[in-house]
Amino acid sequence: MKKTIGLSLLVASSLFANADFDALKEQIAQQKIVMQKLEAKLDALSKKQTQMQQAQMSAKMSRTTANTSASFSQKAYLPDIALILNMSALSRNVDNNQYKDFAIPGFISKGTAALPFNEDKGFNLNYAEVAMRSTVDPYFDAFAIFHLHPNAFEIEEAFVKTRALPYALSVKVGKFKSAFGRINAKHQHSWHFDSQPIIYKSLFGPDGISDAGIQLQWVAPTDTYIMAGLEAMQGTNTRSFGDTKSNNLYVGYLKSSVDIGENLSVLGGVSFAHGKNAENNSTNPTNVYGVDLTLRDQLGSYSALTWQSEFVQRNKDTGNRTDKQAGLYSELIYQYNNNYSAGFRYDAITKNDTDLSAYTGINTNNLDRYTTMLEYKPFPMSRLRLSYMYDRTKIIAGERKNINQVMLSLNIAAGAHGAHDY
Amino acid sequence: MKKILLLTTLLTTMVFASLRVDTTYATMGRVAQKIGGDLVNVTVLGSSKYDPHFIVPKPSLIAKLRRADLLIMNGGGLELGWLPPLLRAANNGKIQNGGKGFLDMSHYVKMIDVPTSVSRAFGDVHAQGNPHFSVDPYVIPVMAKAIEQKLIQLDAEHEKDYNENYNKFTKEWQNYLQKINATMLTCKGEKVVQYHELFNYFLDRYDIKSYGTIEPLPGIAPSSKHTIALINIMKENGVKKVLQDVYHERKTAKFIAAKTGAKVVIIPHELGADGSKTLQEFYNKIAQRICQ
Repeated sequence: MKKTIGLSLLVASSLFANADFDALKEQIAQQKIVMQKLEAKLDALSKKQTQMQQAQMSAKMSRTTANTSASFSQKAYLPDIALILNMSALSRNVDNNQYKDFAIPGFISKGTAALPFNEDKGFNLNYAEVAMRSTVDPYFDAFAIFHLHPNAFEIEEAFVKTRALPYALSVKVGKFKSAFGRINAKHQHSWHFDSQPIIYKSLFGPDGISDAGIQLQWVAPTDTYIMAGLEAMQGTNTRSFGDTKSNNLYVGYLKSSVDIGENLSVLGGVSFAHGKNAENNSTNPTNVYGVDLTLRDQLGSYSALTWQSEFVQRNKDTGNRTDKQAGLYSELIYQYNNNYSAGFRYDAITKNDTDLSAYTGINTNNLDRYTTMLEYKPFPMSRLRLSYMYDRTKIIAGERKNINQVMLSLNIAAGAHGAHDY
Repeated sequence: MKKILLLTTLLTTMVFASLRVDTTYATMGRVAQKIGGDLVNVTVLGSSKYDPHFIVPKPSLIAKLRRADLLIMNGGGLELGWLPPLLRAANNGKIQNGGKGFLDMSHYVKMIDVPTSVSRAFGDVHAQGNPHFSVDPYVIPVMAKAIEQKLIQLDAEHEKDYNENYNKFTKEWQNYLQKINATMLTCKGEKVVQYHELFNYFLDRYDIKSYGTIEPLPGIAPSSKHTIALINIMKENGVKKVLQDVYHERKTAKFIAAKTGAKVVIIPHELGADGSKTLQEFYNKIAQRICQ
């Protein structure tokens, strides 16, 4: 580099005449200074480069040794948390103040019904639920649903279930929904219809059989699915039980399922609940019997036909007499694809052998209800449901009233919401 | 009478001697059968006819999980919509997550398409990456190794048998890979679209470019707007093949084909989805139909 510049300078100088000799000398001196500066710059640059390389190397070294994570972070252990919202727009041929005071003869006397879901004509925010699930340790899973109504906070369920008991046994303790029957253990947002079957609502209220207690379940070691369960519960449900002297409710059930061919599955169950009621300030037994049957024909990956029915009978000794009351529901659901499904449900009180003297002059026969729905799910986590209900079970303002109701409901499950049971 | 008694005792001991292995899908099930041989009794829970995300959690599956000694699952979120409630209901501590008889195959496979940010605003995206790796024939030896190790861990007494089966099977498979690689050489640079990102592992393996999916977002049904956009992309890039799976509706694919002159080919996503009886037949079907 230096040499070439020097040479070219020499050549250049020889080309010029003597007259410019001094000027040239001056120029060469200047060029020399420039070159020195350039050399200095080059030195500095190469120095810098090696410095950088060294810095990079040491940086690599330090990155492997220093841990930048938060030393006490527990983020990975957070439970699965889901937010479930349920709301509706509703139209009904009964005004809100009258509807609140409805009665169902023999079951719910005037104004005593709890109406957490879709109570009002107009708009309803039914609930915002927070559901949490987590594996506690190798031995326990924990699950809780915090159910928030506009005016109330409720622990809908909060229980611990074993993970690793031998002999296919599991124990659940805490507050939970009993596995009595088919629909009792399911949460409102996973029902096929927004309203609870009338027999369940009449016998147990909106939460069904749900209480603090302990559950033992066993799955038989057979090719056919057979499951047996026993539960001991507090029995605080005053509609059927409610004797508070001590825990009073015992539930037992047997469920089985067989597949017929590859696509048709049949699930059936028998359930029994024995508790004590506190009617007429005395303690007397209540027995509840349930039979359920579900047939599901899978028509494709996203398409199925489901027929689900349940019959429940309650024999309640009230001290003076034994009330024998029963009802059923039967629903047919056609899931067309991932987005659309439609369904029809018939439900009724089929037996009402009780004191109906409060309703003299009113026809209390044939308490039944017809519901039809069309469901649109843009995504598995959200659901819009349009339903029409023709309800002949209620006494409004002292008269039997045929109620027409049209409703559009929206349900979403956001966040880490686990899959539902069958 | 004596004979029958003897026979039943023999049969029962045979049944008891074998490990009960449940797999969520059929491809893994076949690999487990190859490695386990007569020592295992394999049950596949999810039918290959159906969308693997939406297997129906029938109660009869609980009975199968109840008696399993080993559960082999795909993982990567593919079973999230159906397996957890079954597993909870089966009361089988052996095959719970963390149990000795629990094997999650996604822990052994290098997952692709891992999203940098996860939100359901992008549809049903799997946070751990694309879980449909069983369409890649190179994943078979990975599965085989993981299963061999697990079986040895559970049944150390038969380590030699499992090891022999493994060696024999992987040797055969290496030969097969040469064959399928040769087939795939003929269609390098093929351009395709697919319904769901179901075949990415296979396409990546053999340098076939996927120009999009029929569903606008994972798990979201096709929209006309998205379909038209896809048709334009196909026309611009000269894409002449639509990969259709066995379980989605076929109307949209046929419509796209009619508009673009492309061909719709049915590609199985699991062993048996399209009648394939062996693993080689399954991968041959994928290869031939993409290349045809």
